[in-house]
Amino acid sequence: MTAAGAPGAGRLRRWLERERVFKWLPFVPVQGLFALLLLPNFLLLVYLSLLSWRITRGAWWNAAFTGLDSFQRALEDSRFLWALARTFAFAAVAVPLELLLGFGLAMLCRRSFRGRRIYTSVFLLPMMIVPAVVGYDLSMLLIDQGPFNQLLSLFAGRTVTVRWLSEYTPAQLAVIGADVWQWTALTFLVFTAGLAGLPEEPIRAARVMGASRWQIFWHIELPLLKPVIAIAVILRSMEALKMFDYPMLLTQAGPGNATETVAVYLWRVGWEFARVSDAAAMSLILLVAVAMYILVAIRVLRRERRRLTEEGAV
Amino acid sequence: MRQRGFPLFPLVRHTLLLAWAAVTLFPIYWMVMTSFKQAAEWVTWPPRWFPHEPTLVNYVKVLTPGTSTFELGRQTLKILKPIGDSLIVSGIGSLIAVLLGSALAYSWARFGTGGRSYPYNILSIRMVPPIVIAVPFVVYFVTLRLLDTYTGLILVYLATSLPYVIWMMLAFVEEVPVELERAARVMGASRWKVLRSVVLPLTASGLVVTFLFVFILNWSELLLAMTLTNTEVSTIPIQLNKFQSANEGRDYGPQAAIGTIATLPVVVLGFLIQKHLLRGFSFGLLRK
Repeated sequence: MTAAGAPGAGRLRRWLERERVFKWLPFVPVQGLFALLLLPNFLLLVYLSLLSWRITRGAWWNAAFTGLDSFQRALEDSRFLWALARTFAFAAVAVPLELLLGFGLAMLCRRSFRGRRIYTSVFLLPMMIVPAVVGYDLSMLLIDQGPFNQLLSLFAGRTVTVRWLSEYTPAQLAVIGADVWQWTALTFLVFTAGLAGLPEEPIRAARVMGASRWQIFWHIELPLLKPVIAIAVILRSMEALKMFDYPMLLTQAGPGNATETVAVYLWRVGWEFARVSDAAAMSLILLVAVAMYILVAIRVLRRERRRLTEEGAV
Repeated sequence: MRQRGFPLFPLVRHTLLLAWAAVTLFPIYWMVMTSFKQAAEWVTWPPRWFPHEPTLVNYVKVLTPGTSTFELGRQTLKILKPIGDSLIVSGIGSLIAVLLGSALAYSWARFGTGGRSYPYNILSIRMVPPIVIAVPFVVYFVTLRLLDTYTGLILVYLATSLPYVIWMMLAFVEEVPVELERAARVMGASRWKVLRSVVLPLTASGLVVTFLFVFILNWSELLLAMTLTNTEVSTIPIQLNKFQSANEGRDYGPQAAIGTIATLPVVVLGFLIQKHLLRGFSFGLLRK
């Protein structure tokens, strides 16, 4: 076996065997990583937001304090506020659509029938595609002389040329469509798993007592699906608020700023315009805007998880 | 089981499902077809649904060795190096994340190390939009000389993957019967022996699934990669974005080839872990 002869090896092994050492061992590198990577970053973010520093103006540690100036500029920047509002608006349209579509598809595929597995595999495809590729791919479909307009023309019976990428509302619909196309796959997956995991007894009992299909769905299945619905809502809305890839690759955030999400605008302020301090201030404002949301999401997750483990213990 | 009251239901169901399947497949079909088209067929009216003379020229073009250049309005797209970079960065980042994260998940599940809220705290960090940390990250990385390096991007992916690994592995670790571990301990096995002979075999498939899951996430990541790299390191999504925003002369064919190449491995991996895909997303909230 191993050379246990060395005097240090045995002591090291005993030391590693102690519960206190054993259980904290993985925590040290992880906490170290967060402490060295994320904490300085956050402090730097706060610090930078208090300066008026641009990349082009010397070293950041030499820049003078200007207090809350960048915050004031951010809050007066209508482009920033619009980007923020637009991001929430896109999420408010895309996420309910994804939930409804995913739920509908999952309901249709609930009981086994011929071809179900093929449908399921096809429906899951979009979530496995790199989002940047999705953005690029749709940009190809949506050009003025592209196949999508051709299909529309076919259905309409005359030549339809919607300028998907260069007009305001169509471009916004295109970006929302990209999100819905890709992430309905995820809500479908979540709801399929949720429906498959429903316990049989209460449903059978209700049926024996003469409840209608609708009553069973509304009073028994839907309440039982609550944690699953919670997952879907939290996951999708969190991700939708981060939207970056689709506008970048599909519309270059245009035409004008029609599809500029807050992530894209912050990226531009930070790099294209090199206004680092302004970007930092806006980042902090964004952080505050989503912090409430995150707190609620985590609280819901904890509650549902606790409920599930209690159920499991019974 | 009671019969559906509505006799046409199977027909309606297939119509609706086929419709969504068509919506799903249409963009994928188009990209794959475009990647085999000659330049003359990229944009036509009416658009061509099949390449008349299928060609591999787009693939040859992007897969020849060399570096991409954007000169005099002409772009050459070379993606061998970006593929390598993507593999290195996502591979190593995901691997270390799985090692650390699964150890941490085990420690938390068995000893409650770090307190009851620990996984939730980690998760809430992950929920913050990445653009928030992107701004100071650049400044921080310039100062540390980590900008545009493999190490830098690997560290970032390690940090962003850890929450997913921890939550996914929690679900797998919680399925290992504690009694089995206790029995092994009683019989005199050390903690490390238990880990190696009891826990590892029972969670091996979970480790693989988790690795593939975070690998896919990192392979697809655009924002942080784009922010923290420049010319030395470049991943596939960055390249695609570069070609897309270099407006002049849209190279639909080569771009479609890149898209297809970037998609293929992920789809294959995705199908391998199809049954487990949800674990990464469900935060332990799913009845089994």
